[in-house]
Amino acid sequence: MYPMRKLKPDRSIGGLIPVLGMLAIFGLSTLLFDITVGLFTGAVMIWIYGLYTLFVFVRMGNLGHLVVCGYCVFLGIMALLASQSIETGRDPDIKFQVAWISGVIFFGVLIIYLAATKKIKWRGREIFELAAEPVDLVGDGYTPRPRPIGKVEFTKQEILAFARFAAKNLISIVYYGPRQVTLVPVKMGDEYTYPFRLSGSYHEATWINFDFEGEVSVHIAQKDYLDFQELLDFDKLCESLGQLFVEFAELHRKGEGVRIIDRMDALRLSYFS
Amino acid sequence: MDFRTAAKLGSRLAKDYAEDVFELLVNYQAISASEVAARLDLHIKTAQDFLEGLAEVGIVSKEEVLEKKRPYYRYVLKQKRIVIDIDLMEIKRHPNPDSLSMRIRERENAGARFSVAHGDNTITGVTIWSGEGREREERKIKLTTPQGKFLYHLPFPKAEPLTVAAIMQKAGIEDGLAPEILDLVQLMEKYEVIENLLTENLG
Repeated sequence: MYPMRKLKPDRSIGGLIPVLGMLAIFGLSTLLFDITVGLFTGAVMIWIYGLYTLFVFVRMGNLGHLVVCGYCVFLGIMALLASQSIETGRDPDIKFQVAWISGVIFFGVLIIYLAATKKIKWRGREIFELAAEPVDLVGDGYTPRPRPIGKVEFTKQEILAFARFAAKNLISIVYYGPRQVTLVPVKMGDEYTYPFRLSGSYHEATWINFDFEGEVSVHIAQKDYLDFQELLDFDKLCESLGQLFVEFAELHRKGEGVRIIDRMDALRLSYFS
Repeated sequence: MDFRTAAKLGSRLAKDYAEDVFELLVNYQAISASEVAARLDLHIKTAQDFLEGLAEVGIVSKEEVLEKKRPYYRYVLKQKRIVIDIDLMEIKRHPNPDSLSMRIRERENAGARFSVAHGDNTITGVTIWSGEGREREERKIKLTTPQGKFLYHLPFPKAEPLTVAAIMQKAGIEDGLAPEILDLVQLMEKYEVIENLLTENLG
């Protein structure tokens, strides 16, 4: 039996926009010119997407995105070779066919594995579901103010190590400050804009702040609060989100980071939500 | 000297003709408003108001004289030195236990915008809107560091309200800073950002 969800069903198509955009531009350029131009345009767009995944790998340290980047490079090269092959009117030689088939199988298996194990899934939705789990009171009371959660006994190194873990596992984007780290959970669909935000522009988003003195504070964006099906008690929700991250940091300190992933996986949310 | 008297005296001294009038008062045994006006090329009403103002705060005395059955005043300098001495402690607010035991929290849908200083766990300012339509006005309130810390720790709407003293303790604010915190609470109450629930029963 599936647990009751507190978030509204995910009906956003934000995550599909790049793919739909690529298809539309590929179709349009083929229609206006010919298939060789279409394939060339497709290759360029795939490489641009590859650059985005490379950026995510560098920004977050998520290895899965490096694999996706490799896949994009491969697909782009294949599209370019196909374009040249059509242009010269020669059948693709056997080397191209072998490379194509083995590459598709290699990357296909890898990407299916990454998707199935949610290693390239942005975990914002899991975070909000977990934070809302203990909050039953219906009460609204939204305020744009951050909420202090309390003081925790973590060293600066422990906080930084947890922040790196959170980034690597796409639990949140991390912004480093001279006196604190701020973690911003990102839901699938928002992943194309959030990683590019500069450190001063996340304040309106939902964030969890750990300062190096151990003070923890939380801010929930109105957009994310309205994404819940019911008007949850806002004060309790903020406290729960803060406590969830404190608990995660505690688990990470004990070397039980895998438990954090297990808790999120136990929600059994689909890859695309 | 109380603040109001000092303010009155200060406003008289700030006039650009004040030094010239005092020069006449010092050098003349007694002088009338019309004589001052004629000597300094001022309007008679200006000179009269200035001298009356000085008489009001006790710098000059005035004596009524009759000239061809028409009475008028002559002004005599009473003090050779003007000292403005204000005891500012007289206007310091002393918080009473009742105000520190007010149970407060943020009002629901307060409509205020809070500017947060990241890394400092404090709020630097509050923007409040009041009025409707064309009458709508924006007011920005800059907060001191203790006030910002206090507001940062203020309970959310619908959360359990806390006493002012408890919030101060939570925010690590010294008791001696209570007057500026209470001033903020008063202002936030006025703009309906904070709601004051029942005062905690200390008995």
